[in-house]
Amino acid sequence: MKIRTSLSLLLASAFAFVSPESQAASTVKVGILHSLSGTMAISETSLKDVLLFTFNEINKAGGIKAGGQSYMIEPVIVDPASNWPLFAEKAEQLLAKDKVSAVFGCWTSVSRKSVLPVFERLNGMLFYPVQYEGEELSKNIFYTAEAVNQQAIPAVDYMLGEEKKKFYLLGSDYVYPRTTNKILKQYLKSKGIPESDIEEIYTPFGHTDYQTIVASIKKFAAAGKACVISTLNGDTNVPFFKEFANAGLTSENCPVVSFSISEDEFRGLPAKDLVGHFGCWTYFMSLKTPENTKFVKDFQTWLKAPVVTGVDYTVSGVDGKGRVTCSPMNLSRMGVYLWKQAVEKAGTFDVDKVRDALIGQKFKGPAGEVTMQENHHLVNNVYIGETLATGQFKVIRTLTGVAGEPFSAKFLTSKTASN
Amino acid sequence: MPISTCVLTLPRLVLLCVSLGSAILFTPFSWAAETPSENARKEFVRAVLSESFSEREILLRSLVGYQDSQVEQGLIAWRGGSLYLHETNALKTPFLLESQTDADGNAKGLQVIDGKYVLDSAGKPQLFSQTDLTAVDADAKLRRVIKTTLDLYSLGHSNLMMRRDAIIKLGQAQDPSYLPHFRGSLKDQDTPEIRRALLEAIAVTEASDPDEKVRVPAITTLGKLRSVNSVSILQALFDTARKEPVKAGEETIRSLRIALAEIDRYLWWGTLWGTIFRGLSLSAVLLVAALGLAITFGLMGVINMAHGEFMMIGAYTTYVTQTFFATWFGTSGFGFNCYFVVALGASFVVGCLAGLVLERGVIQFLYRRPLESLLATWGVSLLLQQLMRHIFGAANVQVSSPGWLTGSLVLNDVPFAYNRVFVIVFAGLTVLGTYLILTRTPLGLLIRAVMQNRAMASCMGVRTSRVNMLTFAFGSGLAGTAGACLSQIGNVGPSLGQSYIVDCFMVVVLGGVGNTLGTVSASLGVGVTDQILQPWLGAVMGKITVLAAIILFLQWRPAGLFATRSRSLDS
Repeated sequence: MKIRTSLSLLLASAFAFVSPESQAASTVKVGILHSLSGTMAISETSLKDVLLFTFNEINKAGGIKAGGQSYMIEPVIVDPASNWPLFAEKAEQLLAKDKVSAVFGCWTSVSRKSVLPVFERLNGMLFYPVQYEGEELSKNIFYTAEAVNQQAIPAVDYMLGEEKKKFYLLGSDYVYPRTTNKILKQYLKSKGIPESDIEEIYTPFGHTDYQTIVASIKKFAAAGKACVISTLNGDTNVPFFKEFANAGLTSENCPVVSFSISEDEFRGLPAKDLVGHFGCWTYFMSLKTPENTKFVKDFQTWLKAPVVTGVDYTVSGVDGKGRVTCSPMNLSRMGVYLWKQAVEKAGTFDVDKVRDALIGQKFKGPAGEVTMQENHHLVNNVYIGETLATGQFKVIRTLTGVAGEPFSAKFLTSKTASN
Repeated sequence: MPISTCVLTLPRLVLLCVSLGSAILFTPFSWAAETPSENARKEFVRAVLSESFSEREILLRSLVGYQDSQVEQGLIAWRGGSLYLHETNALKTPFLLESQTDADGNAKGLQVIDGKYVLDSAGKPQLFSQTDLTAVDADAKLRRVIKTTLDLYSLGHSNLMMRRDAIIKLGQAQDPSYLPHFRGSLKDQDTPEIRRALLEAIAVTEASDPDEKVRVPAITTLGKLRSVNSVSILQALFDTARKEPVKAGEETIRSLRIALAEIDRYLWWGTLWGTIFRGLSLSAVLLVAALGLAITFGLMGVINMAHGEFMMIGAYTTYVTQTFFATWFGTSGFGFNCYFVVALGASFVVGCLAGLVLERGVIQFLYRRPLESLLATWGVSLLLQQLMRHIFGAANVQVSSPGWLTGSLVLNDVPFAYNRVFVIVFAGLTVLGTYLILTRTPLGLLIRAVMQNRAMASCMGVRTSRVNMLTFAFGSGLAGTAGACLSQIGNVGPSLGQSYIVDCFMVVVLGGVGNTLGTVSASLGVGVTDQILQPWLGAVMGKITVLAAIILFLQWRPAGLFATRSRSLDS
C-alpha cells in the first residue's frame, strides 16, 4: 500500500514537473472490446491496432477538448477471447469497474447481441464497426458499420444492372448470412426475379468439401446470367474458391460477390483464384483520396513503432508484417472521431449528452464524408470493387451518400434504396 | 553430293518463297488495315461525343466489325467508368489514363483516336489525377450495349476457352442480329469445341424463330447437341408452347419434348458420374487422412490426438518447400511445378521425424496407459499448434497449386478436377504401398508379429520397442503426406488438424479398429453417402444424417464394419 501511494505521488509530481500547464495530465478512459485470442482474433486484432493508432493520432494533436480542458485518451483493453458470454462479462467490467466513457468493439453479431443488455442497463456507449444484418436499434449503440442497404443491396443492384437474372445465395450457417439472404430474397422478388431463379444454400463453419455446391452452381450457371452472392465466412472461402476455379467457373461466366472478404481477410486467401470477383464496402484501401493516402501511410509508419502518446500505456502484441487497411478498420476510426467531435460539442463525457450531440456529426474520412443519422447509422459512400491479384480492390462503381437503414421493412418498401 | 545440295537448297527455297509471299501479302494488307481501324476510332469518338442514346447505340453496333485494340480498350474504359474527355478550344478528345502512376498518383492520358499521349500547351504529356476527372457518362442501358459490342469482339479472342465462353454467352442472348457473325465465323472454323459452340449458339438463337420451319430443326439440333446450356431456354419455350398449343404448333411441341428428354437423360448420367466422382474424391480425402491413424491407433492402439497436427506439419512442410521453390524458380514454369513432388517426400520425412520424437519422448512411457496417452498427445497437439502460430503467424498461409493440379478435365460436361483425381490416385497408391509393406517386407512381418502378440514376439528376439517406434513413425509419416495432399484442396493454418481429427477417428472406428481394410471401406461408405445425401439435404443436414447413421450403426455393431480380435486390443 505504502509503495503504491508513494509511487503514484512520484508519478504525479513527475507529471507536474514535466508539464507545468498540468491540464494535459487529465485523461479519459476508453474501452476496446475485441477478441485477441480464439477464432475471431485474426480479424479483431486488426481493429484493436487501428483503434490504438487513432487514439495516438488524437492525443498527438492535443487530445479531446471538453469544457475548457483537454483530455488524453487512455485505452483500456480487455480480451473476450471469442467467447460470446465472456463479451458481456468484459463489457460489464469496462463500464462498472473501469468507468470508461465509450467502448469500441465487437465483430460478430452474436457478441453484439450478448453485450447489448449490459450497455442498456449501465447506460454505456458502444461503437460497432462491422457490416451486419440490421433489424436492431439500441439507444446505447452507434452502428458505424454497413447496414444491409449499404452493402448487400447495392451489390445486388450492380449485378441486376449487369443483366444477371439468377442468384445463388451461399453463406455460412449463422445469423448474419441467414438474415441478409432473407432480406435479399425479398428484394430480388420485388425486382421481378422468380423464386425458382434464387437458390439459398448454407454450409457449416469450417466446411471443407465444396464439391457438391460447386457442381450445383455450375448447373445453375449453365444457361448464363447467373451470379453467386456469398456470405461465406473466413477461411471456408479457400476451399470454395479453389473448387470454383477448378470447375472452370470464372468471374466471366459466374461472378461471385463476397460480403465478408475485405483486404484484411485477403492475406490468408489464394488471391489468384479470386481475381475478377467482386466486393462491396464503404471503404477500400485503394481509394485515392488525400485522406486515405495519409491514413494508410501513417498507419504503416505507426505499426513499426506502436505507441499511444500522452498516457502511461505500453502497446504490445502488434505484428507489423504485411499489414493492410480495410473497411471495418476505417469505420472503427470514423467512430472514434465522431465521438470526439460529439464530446467537444457537448463539452462533457456524459453519455446522454454525447449521444444527443452525436446526431448530425459529420467527418471527412478516407472514404469521403460520413454523417451520423438519428437512427444511429451513417450516411456513407458505397464502393463496388473488383478483386486484383495483389489482394486489393479496383473501384468500379461509387454510390455517394447512401443512408444506412437498419430495418429492411423500410428500405424494401421505399424505392430509394437504389439508383 | 547432288542430293545434299538439294537438301540444302530446299529450305532456302521455301524461306525465299515465304518471305516473298509475305512481302507481297503483307504490304498491301497493312495499308488496307489502316483505314478501317481509323474509321472505327472516329466512329468511337463520335459515339462518345453524341448526346442521344439511339445514335450512340447505332454507332456502337457498327463498331462490331472492326478488330481494333485501341477501340476495344476505349470501350472497356467507357464501360468501367474510366474514360475521360480532354477539352481544348471546343475540341473534345476522349482519353483514358495509363495504369502507371507517379508518386503523387497522377498518370498520363492516352488518346483513343491515335494511342498518343494527351499533350499540354507546352507539348509535353499532360498529367491527370483520377480524382479530379469526371468519367464519360454511361448508364446501365448503354453499358449493356457496350458490353454486347465487346462480347462480339471476343468472337476473335485468341484464348480458345474465352472464345468458347463468349460464343455461348452470345448465343444465350438470342439476338438474331448476331446470326451473320456466327455463320461467318463458322465457315472457316476447324476447332471442334468452337464449332460446336457456334452451332449451339445458332440453334439457340433460331429456337425462338417465328417461322416453324426454322424453329423445329434448331430445337432438334439442340437436343442432338445435348446442349446443357440451353435447357432453361427450351424449358421456357416448352412452358409457353403448352399454354398456347395452337400458336406454337404441334411439331414444335413434339420436338421440344424430344430435345428436353434427350438433354435430361444426358444430364442424369452426368449427375450420376459427377456424384460417384465426388463421393470417391471425398472418400479418398478421408482415407488419406485416416490411413496413418489406422496404423497408429488401429494397429498399435495408441490414441494419438496429435495425429491432426502431424497432418498440419505436413501441410506447412509443403508451404515451406513451395516458398523455397518460388525463390529459386519463380512462381511458374517447370521448376516450380515440380515442387509438389518434392514436398510429398519432404512431408513424409518430416512427419516421420515428428512421430519419432513423440514416440520416444512421450508415448513409449504410456503404452499401458491409454487415458494418459490421450491427454498427453492432446497436450502435444496444442503445443504444436501454438508453435506453428509462433513461426508462421496465426493467419492461414497460401499454398498455390502447381500447374498440373489446377483446372479440370471436362468429359461430357462433367468436370473432373485434377487435384481431386490426384488425391484419388494417391489414396489408392498409399493403400497399396501400406499393404505391400505390411505383408511383403520383413519390417511388415515384425510389425504384425508385435501387434498381434507382443510378449511372444519379444520372446522370439524381436526388439519390440524399436518396432513400435518404427511403426509409429511410419503412421506419422503417412499423416504428413496427407497434410501435403490436403494443402491442395483446403486451408493451411494452425487449426488444419482440428478440422480432420474427428473424421479420422470416425472412419477408423467405423471400419473396425485394427483393420486397415475396414478403414478403406468405411471411408468409401462415408464419402459416397455424404455426397449422395448432400444435394437433397444440404451440407449441414447431410453431415448430421451421416453422423447419426454412424452412431446407429455402431450401436448395432460396436466393433465396426470388420471386427478384429487381437490380444493387444483385448488387454
